[in-house]
Amino acid sequence: MKTIKILHMYADMLDLYGDSGNMEILNYRCRMRGIECRIDKYSIDSEMPDFSSYDLIYIGGGADLEQQHISADLLKCRDGIVKAYNEGVFLFLICGGYQLMGRYYRDADGNEIPGLGLFDYFTIAPSSRKMRCIGNIVIRTMVTGETVDVVGFENHGGQTQEVKTPFGEVLYGNGNCSKSSAEGYFEKNVIATYLHGPLLSKNPEISDYMISYCINRGVTKSVELSVLDDRLEKDCRKVMLDRLLNK
Amino acid sequence: MKRLLIIIGKIIVKVLRLFRRNAGNLPGIVLWHLSGHKCCSIFRVDCPIIAVTGTNGKTSVTNCIAQLFEQSGKNIIINREGNNLDTGICSLLLRHCNMSGRVNADYLILETDESHVPVVYSQLKLDTLVVLNFFRDQLDRNGEMETLIQKINGFCKSFDGNLILNGDDPNTARLGRANPENKNVKYFHAEPYAFATDKIFEASEGRFCPFCGEPLVYDYYQYSHIGKFSCKKCGFGDYEPYITATDIDLEKPVFMADGHKYTPKLNSIYNIYNMTAVAAAAKLYSIEQSVTDKVISTYTVNNGRMETFMLGDRKTTLNLAKNPVGANMTLRVMNEMQGEKELLFVLNDNVADGLDVSWIWDINFSVFERVTRVVTSGTRAHDIAVRIKCSGYDASKIVVCPDLDEAVEELAKTSGRKFVIANYTAVQPTRGALNRYIAKHGGKQNENN
Repeated sequence: MKTIKILHMYADMLDLYGDSGNMEILNYRCRMRGIECRIDKYSIDSEMPDFSSYDLIYIGGGADLEQQHISADLLKCRDGIVKAYNEGVFLFLICGGYQLMGRYYRDADGNEIPGLGLFDYFTIAPSSRKMRCIGNIVIRTMVTGETVDVVGFENHGGQTQEVKTPFGEVLYGNGNCSKSSAEGYFEKNVIATYLHGPLLSKNPEISDYMISYCINRGVTKSVELSVLDDRLEKDCRKVMLDRLLNK
Repeated sequence: MKRLLIIIGKIIVKVLRLFRRNAGNLPGIVLWHLSGHKCCSIFRVDCPIIAVTGTNGKTSVTNCIAQLFEQSGKNIIINREGNNLDTGICSLLLRHCNMSGRVNADYLILETDESHVPVVYSQLKLDTLVVLNFFRDQLDRNGEMETLIQKINGFCKSFDGNLILNGDDPNTARLGRANPENKNVKYFHAEPYAFATDKIFEASEGRFCPFCGEPLVYDYYQYSHIGKFSCKKCGFGDYEPYITATDIDLEKPVFMADGHKYTPKLNSIYNIYNMTAVAAAAKLYSIEQSVTDKVISTYTVNNGRMETFMLGDRKTTLNLAKNPVGANMTLRVMNEMQGEKELLFVLNDNVADGLDVSWIWDINFSVFERVTRVVTSGTRAHDIAVRIKCSGYDASKIVVCPDLDEAVEELAKTSGRKFVIANYTAVQPTRGALNRYIAKHGGKQNENN
């Protein structure tokens, strides 16, 4: 079987709210199935990688200050990332990573941080730093082909607008904007979302969607993933769904 | 108007006392509403106020500084129970003021929540602010840490009192530049201890110079992002320490500061930093050396910070971990210990914990050595179980028991050494459950209780 190659960008800077846990989980779920998974890291001082040689590119979330540092570097990677995306490399983006792939991010002081402009959406932070979307969140998504209720934790000031194809419908919490009905951005090779938690910790179907996408990319005979024992993960999610939705 | 508010407040305190309720916060909340959100402004305080803030160690340092003055024969007021928001401080002062709102004491020593420093001390004149450290903690309550630092930095811009800062934490040291006119900025610093590292060991923040954006360069890391750092571009971090802890030996434990030897009771590097902050305050207020010695050498805690219990004949150590730094430190202590052991991890997500539990993914569980079983409990028992499982730990050795009494029974079922990690609101209920087990099955509570 092929090795899944992942590029974790800015892991040393964008790792708020345990977002690096998503990499640990993907790696774990591959390892349990005997799938080789290699995770390379890229950060500001690193050499420019060949983005197209990866199956998945991951960017997590960070504080405003760190996002400013990263934006300039990310723009240098623009061509490589666009090419990789067009060739079907999966983009997995959380919070800051999500925002930076849009047209721009306007911070609380009105400074505009340019995004890669890969997608049409843009993000505006309210001028008051106190206005944040903070709390547990439940969204319903169909990305795997079946209905999955996904649980996570959101904490963002930015209001992301003009999202054409969201990741899910908000059942509890805020989503892309305060009290909005849609959350995140989705294409068959893109999951971009505000959900921390980390996202994959309680939502094994989403992990497996990405692993399955990666393992079947560029192969002629499609591979079925073996079933793992997810009782702990599913119980974990059920506790939160019961608490948040069945009040 | 102020007088009326004082009378109302005092009546509430009296009524609460009549019903034998603790008047820790409620009177302050009522006055907060009645005073247009300025509940500390109704008091008249003529004595110096010393405030202690930071993510970890506030309670310890506040108590020690209070003892410095108490043992020097001074009359002090302190918020011992840790009511550290404006409303808690208001309630405290209500109990100690006369009918005109005048507070009588030689010194006020106040543990103050990080986000409430500007709130409280725009209303009360502050003599000294001690800032210990800023770690990722309860992020969802305070917004991001940068916002929090900005708030305190804003306060420091116009503050010209004494500022005692941890010079080894870039997040706190940067406050020293907030007001260039302030000549009373004093940094405390510690030389590397035996387990200091060249590379950072745990997830952390503050990698960049807040002034010019350059990556910070470290000579050594003590723990998390605490260590000797500097910015090669603008010189941030090059300061003359007011006091330096040297010759740190945690085995004894012992350290030197200003040519004087101290023998604290608690053997962790973060306690050395706390005690160095205490020594800095003692130096600033010219406390007698014999008093400082006594305070530093006798200070210990009994609130779930490395507390020992005997569950039958099973030695059990309980430690509070309200953030990854605390949890990683406990795991280090656990690993450095020989022989097999079992772990109980109690994780709650109440408001005071921060509703977000993702910080557990910044705990480095892959270092687990000779841990034969894990029991998890608390309102987020399943989250911590999943986290430990995904670090590669055998899932069949994890037992999830959300109910605490059941969890302690489960832990004590087998023989051998036990460790318990509990987060903020989980500590007291965990102590309760451990003590209930001991009452039922025998054993011994912490000797210091």
